[in-house]
Amino acid sequence: MGIFDKLFHKPQSEHPVITAPVAGTAVALQEVNDPTFSQEILGKGIAIRPTGNQIVAPCDGKVDMMFDTGHAVSLISTNGMEILIHVGLETVQLKGKHYTTHAKTGDTVKQGQPLISFDREAIAAEGYDLITPIVLCNSDRFPILQAHLGAVSSGDPLLTIDA
Amino acid sequence: MKTITHVIQDPMGLHARPAGLLAKAAAACEGCSFSLTFKEQTVDAKRIMGLMKLGAKQGDTLTITCAGENEDAAAASMESFLKDNL
Repeated sequence: MGIFDKLFHKPQSEHPVITAPVAGTAVALQEVNDPTFSQEILGKGIAIRPTGNQIVAPCDGKVDMMFDTGHAVSLISTNGMEILIHVGLETVQLKGKHYTTHAKTGDTVKQGQPLISFDREAIAAEGYDLITPIVLCNSDRFPILQAHLGAVSSGDPLLTIDA
Repeated sequence: MKTITHVIQDPMGLHARPAGLLAKAAAACEGCSFSLTFKEQTVDAKRIMGLMKLGAKQGDTLTITCAGENEDAAAASMESFLKDNL
């Protein structure tokens, strides 16, 4: 590696990483059966078909908004990434049923800290799709360098960001 | 500076989809800034997360102030966007 590579290409380890907020299978956002997400109207990102029951912080930062219903949470990372996690599709209609929040708007959180617990079986039994989009709302400022698709455990690298 | 108002018609209010579309419409007018005011909260209309946080519902009035290059044209296109999408 020449000196210019060292200057202009950061090693992978120095790029910010968004980690998996829940265990499951990571798939492309285009596979989400809701155009708001699949057409990237809220930004670029990834989705997880969850096998776990808890959402944890995907990075260090601040809870920008914990929805009262617990079906979604947005965070601003320490370096300014705006991340929205939406647990299941159309789940606003559950009005908080089957969701428990563990953090509130304005809280400072560490990567891996629990944010929301949800009863996956009960939500699925009511007919909801549990796929969980993780969207970088300001992906124009924070381009995604690499999406890690396939099986993930909570806390595994999910998105590597070019910043 | 140009100010427009809009009463939300969408039964779901300013939820994720219209918030995303609104932020994109605002961002398309590069030389202009848009600030959106609802119930004494003012946010940058180019920021999706700020818009979603307002919790604006059907029947609520949004006030949008547009400032910058070609602000008259930008305000007019924002007004027609809101009529069509929210």
